[in-house]
Parts: sequence; C-alpha cells; structure tokens
Amino acid sequence: MYILPLALLAMALAWPVPRLMAGFTSFRRAPRAALVVWQATAVAAVLAALFTAPAAVPFIVRQQSRITEHLGLVALAGVVSGLVLARLLVAGHRVGRNLRVVRKRHRELVDVLASHDDRHLRVLEHPTPTAYCLPGLSRRVVLSQGTLDRLPAEELEAVLAHERAHLAARHDLILEFFTVVHEAVPPFVRSETALREVHLLIEVLADRAAVRDVGPMPTARAIVDMAGGGASPAGSMAMGSTPSAAKVRIGLLEPARIWGLPVPIASALMYVFAGLLVAMPVTLLSMAFAGFLVT
Amino acid sequence: MSTTPRNRLGELERAVLEHLWTEGPSHPEGLTVREVHDVVGVQRDLAYTTLMTVLDRMAKKGLVTRERDGRAWRYTAAASRDELTSETMRHALGELAGTERRSALLHFLDESTPEEIDELRAALAALEARQAPGSTPRGRHRRQKVT
Repeated sequence: MYILPLALLAMALAWPVPRLMAGFTSFRRAPRAALVVWQATAVAAVLAALFTAPAAVPFIVRQQSRITEHLGLVALAGVVSGLVLARLLVAGHRVGRNLRVVRKRHRELVDVLASHDDRHLRVLEHPTPTAYCLPGLSRRVVLSQGTLDRLPAEELEAVLAHERAHLAARHDLILEFFTVVHEAVPPFVRSETALREVHLLIEVLADRAAVRDVGPMPTARAIVDMAGGGASPAGSMAMGSTPSAAKVRIGLLEPARIWGLPVPIASALMYVFAGLLVAMPVTLLSMAFAGFLVT
Repeated sequence: MSTTPRNRLGELERAVLEHLWTEGPSHPEGLTVREVHDVVGVQRDLAYTTLMTVLDRMAKKGLVTRERDGRAWRYTAAASRDELTSETMRHALGELAGTERRSALLHFLDESTPEEIDELRAALAALEARQAPGSTPRGRHRRQKVT
C-alpha cells in the first residue's frame, strides 16, 4: 500500500518543505547546489504526485475482489495524478507561450530603437539606469544610456559579466521551470517566498561570474549604484521587514563557510540530499511494483 | 559588426523607422514604399520588393501604420521614438507585474530601492573594510580592543 506514503510525500514537498528551505539562508553561499536542491524538491513533489495513481495499480490487480473497500482512496489517487499532470501541461504551455510573446515583443522594440554596433548588446536612449537581458535563441543584453552615464568602466564590466552569465547558463530555463510548477499548483500551495529565493539564488550565481571577472568591490559598487539610480517600479516586491535582494547579494560576494563547513563539503552534502529527494518517490513506486511482481 | 541575416534585417527595420521619423513632420500623410526605397533601399543597394516585405512585416508588428492611397500604401511610424522608448522602459521596469513578466527579462537588479541606499552604502563599506589588505577580521578585532 504505497498510495498514502506517496501522497503524503507529495504534500510535504509541495507545502511545508519549500517554506522551511526558504529559511535556510546559509544555502545561498552555495547557490549552484542550492538551486539543485530546489529543483530536486520540485521534481520529487511532481513525481510523488504523478506516481500515486500508478502505485494503486498493483494493489487493484492483486485484491480485485475487495477493491470496493478502498475505492475512495484509489479514486483519490487517480484524481490527484490526473490533475497534477493536466495542470502541469496547461501551465507549461501557458507560461512558455506568454514568456515567448513578451520577449519577442520586447526584442522587436529594442532592436528597432537601439543601434546594432554589437551583435547582442543594445543601448536604450533613456536616463533611468537599467540593465537586463532577453534570454532565448536571439538573446540580447540591454543597457540604458542612464546606466552607461552612471557606472564607471569596471562596474559596467561587472554588470555585463552578470548578464552574460544569465544568458550563457540559461538561467531563464531554471526560472521558467519554477514558474511553471508555481502556476501549476493550487494558489494555497504556492510559495512566493520560495520563488523569490530561487530568483535570488540565480542572481547570486550571476554575481559570482561578475566577481570572477572584476572582483568583489566593483561588483558591489555596481549593485549599489544601480539600486540608487532607478525609479522604483510600481510592481516592486520590496518589503520593509526583509532585507532587500541588493543587500543580501552584497553580503554574499565573498566566500564564507556554510554551517561551519567548507563550501565544497556543504555543497556535496546538498547534492546528496537532492539525490535522496528524487530517489524517494522513485523508490516508493518501485516498491509498490516489486511487491506485486514477487507475489 | 552585425553580419547575420537576422541582424541585418533588424538593422534595416531600424533604418526604415528612422527615415519615417525624420520625414514624418514634412509628410504627415505618410510615405510610399517607393519613397522609402529611394532613400533607404538605394543607399543599401536593396531591391524594391525587399523594402515592400520589410514594411509589410513592420506593419504586422505594429511598428508602422499604413493607409491605402490609390493602388499604393502610405506608411507612417506608429509611434514616435520617445513613445516607443518609454513603452520599452515601462516594459523593462516591470510595471506590468505578474510572475511571467518578471521572468521574461532577467534584470541586473530586480527591485530598485532608493530609500535603502544608506544601508547599501554601509554594507559596501563593511565589505571594503574586509577586502582591504592587512585588515583581516582578526586584525580588525585587535584594533577595536586597543581603542
């Protein structure tokens, strides 16, 4: 009877675990390993939910006569798996399409407005400092004139290295994956905090690339200069109580230990943990079928 | 330099729009494909039909608007350069909120918080103190004891 453990695992990984993990701020010191743990959590949650119905199959076949006794449970498993699959497909399609529409429109605007001196770099004639990249097959790094006027060469190099790291490592795909999972689950399960944490980890990872290029000080100065210049966007998620992403990122530019452990050891432990997370639903489903095949 | 066909097309669209912007005040009724080709196309040694295709594409993208004038179309820029720039910046600064819009563009700094700038400067100063040679955490600790 592996329906219940799988369902419980799915629920645990969907609700309390992400909320708990968002509190482990030490994870941010190993951003790559932390992102793998986050991805493993999402994948394990999805697998556990999808496996609940298949796990019921050996049970039904074996105890044909008494299926009516557990009809409720079996039906519930089927509904959960079916719903999860349907919602994932719908969310995946919708998020993917919307992202591509928004990016395409933006790329058209940027291409027609900015000069094409460089293959991927575009400069917008606007005094507000901003810097971002448009991921995808025809990628762009976009800077406003305000950014060029405000930042010294070294800081500009930090900003460019940061954006190039996003594009080279396809951070947009990691973000898209989490956005799809986020949209696929019912609103009461969604965790804005978890999504924001993933967002932050991606930025920390790109900051590392900037630090490798120009060192921590220019990178930190670039963050401060960009933070001070821009108009606060209306949809800003800045919260008064929690420290802003900018401040957290400055604090993470130099290496430090995680829970007293050197980063490589902590990272290794985190990778093992990620592996265990994904192994759990797979093991539970195999056990359901193994018992069936033996008897 | 841009060499890929895709980039050259983008550059051409940009040149066409620039031309429509400069000629706009003197030609409020718009320009025909022929008139655009005479300047932008001839300069680049491009066929008339290339300009026709480009203007047609741009109309579909909403970058230019067109009106029938006899057997030809007359094209005007759909928005001024400033209007397009502010639309792009609004788009980029994420005023159109929502999870997907936030992940459509990857910003160097997602949320700009000018009111927090003093805190950020303090964090910067702290980092600088740690980074400066000779002032390891132990060294700083010792100095604090002396004073």
